Amino acid sequence: MDLGSLLNALILGVSIASIWLIAALGLTIIYGTAGVINMAHGELIMLGAYSSYMLQFYLGLPYLLCIPASFFIVAFVGLVLERGLIRYLYNRPLDTLLATYGVSLVLMQGVRLIFGSDPKYIAAPAAFSSNISLGFASISTFRVVILGVTALLVFGLWLLFYKTRFGVQVRAVMQNKEMAASFGINSGRIYMLTFALGAGLAGVAGSLFGVLAIVLPTMGASYVVQAFLMVVVGGGSLAGSVAASGATGELQSVLAFFTNDTFARFIIFVLIVVFLRFRPQGLFAQAGARR
Amino acid sequence: MGNIYHNKTAQWIVYAVFFAILAVIPIKIDDSFLLNQLATYGVYGMLALSISLCWGFGGILNLGQGIAFGLGAYGMAMTMQMQSQDASNPIPPFMLNNSLDHLPLLWQPFQNTTAGLILSVAVPTLFCAVFGGIMFRARVSGPFFAIMTLAMLSAFYTIIIDRQPYTGGVNGLTPPSAFQFAGVEVDPYSPTAYWVVFCFLMGATVVAKLITQSSFGLVTQAIRDDAERVRFLGYSVAGYETVIYTVAGLIAAIAGCCWVMLVQYVSPAQLDVSFSLSMVIWAAIGGRHSLLGSIFGAFIIQGAQSYLGDTFLATWLLILGGFFIIVVRFLPNGLASLLESGLGLLAAKRRSSSAAVERNGDANPMPAE
Repeated sequence: MDLGSLLNALILGVSIASIWLIAALGLTIIYGTAGVINMAHGELIMLGAYSSYMLQFYLGLPYLLCIPASFFIVAFVGLVLERGLIRYLYNRPLDTLLATYGVSLVLMQGVRLIFGSDPKYIAAPAAFSSNISLGFASISTFRVVILGVTALLVFGLWLLFYKTRFGVQVRAVMQNKEMAASFGINSGRIYMLTFALGAGLAGVAGSLFGVLAIVLPTMGASYVVQAFLMVVVGGGSLAGSVAASGATGELQSVLAFFTNDTFARFIIFVLIVVFLRFRPQGLFAQAGARR
Repeated sequence: MGNIYHNKTAQWIVYAVFFAILAVIPIKIDDSFLLNQLATYGVYGMLALSISLCWGFGGILNLGQGIAFGLGAYGMAMTMQMQSQDASNPIPPFMLNNSLDHLPLLWQPFQNTTAGLILSVAVPTLFCAVFGGIMFRARVSGPFFAIMTLAMLSAFYTIIIDRQPYTGGVNGLTPPSAFQFAGVEVDPYSPTAYWVVFCFLMGATVVAKLITQSSFGLVTQAIRDDAERVRFLGYSVAGYETVIYTVAGLIAAIAGCCWVMLVQYVSPAQLDVSFSLSMVIWAAIGGRHSLLGSIFGAFIIQGAQSYLGDTFLATWLLILGGFFIIVVRFLPNGLASLLESGLGLLAAKRRSSSAAVERNGDANPMPAE
């Protein structure tokens, strides 16, 4: 066995982990705070990719500006979604799952109507398309960019949730909505803002994935199950999702090194089911979290 | 004089009428293509029925019903494939293309049609019993169970694509000839095929209805409404959940067999997440608390997809998604609940009018307070 290629697989694993994590970040926040199972998350990622494509193609915005712009566009979509539909369903978790699946159908078909089913491409700066070689391992620069953005977002979210007044309010609502409300926290507003934030994060993920792969109306479907499993394995907390994505990303890469990509994925799905059998609350259960 | 919707005799009469209408169809229609299409709707009806039984009456939202359906379908396709292989040509062509020179062990039992049929139904049922048993024993429920079934479904989907020499990979299996049973060929476009599906649909519906009316069914409905209380009353919640989940899986497996008999084709698409979710949509739109409502939901949605889908090709999913959102938001118990509340209003009106008659007949009305 070649040690160098195993090392390469390990480094690739970090990159896979960062991709899964950034796909799962928005979902973590939405699920962790409001307990909403947002099946439209994949389509929000897809919207992020399309908004980057539009901004670049029609307005000629540089790619690096498209990323934050996609955040705000998709966050706005999330805000509308929350005000128009999700807020009526907070006490019916299974129904949020179904209703958001309906939303995902509408978004997917809507985008297909507007943009057609042919693939679109987002152009990234030339500097991103090269490879970085670390001794005997080499990795594309763009994957490093994704890793960087993910790390930045995780750090930002940590600051937001643990160092600001808003974060304290969010965590209070997470732990006990009624108690938080009696301390004067407007839980409806917190839910609305976290949903928009989660949607915006999906938008960022989308604008990155649009460069990594092609932009298609159906691109979201491949991310949503994976992202969900990360969130559930992690237990709905930020640290949980980071740990879950890290572990599964590495496992996927190493298993794929010994077998192949699809079979590795199969093993991971089975492992996740077995893991959740023994720890249904996930890696890091939150104290007093709503179930 | 309550709501006639809840009257058991009335319900059975409606069931009898429903199946009588379905039974008349092959006599009236001699378009064999249409008959085949209607029979596939019957299969979808069975799937919606299984979802209704498990979700509407057991409270277990199962997003992975495609597992039972798909495994049943693959078993049936393997059986049919082996029927067209003989001693001079013992291996299916796609295996030769994948450089397999002998029949894999997995396929050996399917050389015998009876064994193949038994396996196609038994394997998915057994899987549901084991998977459900393990999960419910661990008290995985609600959205968690839904996500676990989703993960399991994705696992099956990927393994079928990955093991191409054994499963045909993305292309799936296309048995070259119609299913033969006891020397009789079941032409998928013949009334015989329709009758087979009809009998299974009717049988499954009657069994499901009897289950929901039994004391077992009452306990599962109690679990749906409040699992914790039922547990405190001393019932084995996990046991009840496993049984209802397994029965639903059994129905879906039979539906899978019927489906392959009708279309002579199976591919990983039958285990795709979106197909399992559309089963849930049928049941949700039709009314998951009503077995017949769910079957109707499947008929309406699939019928609309076939006929409106051609006219509104581009907007069909948009319409379906929008309609589904509206149903979930405003009509959580589906279209059947419209009928329920309509009949309830009728009953209430009749009651109040008869009450009014009694009051008028009263010689000494009470003074108003």
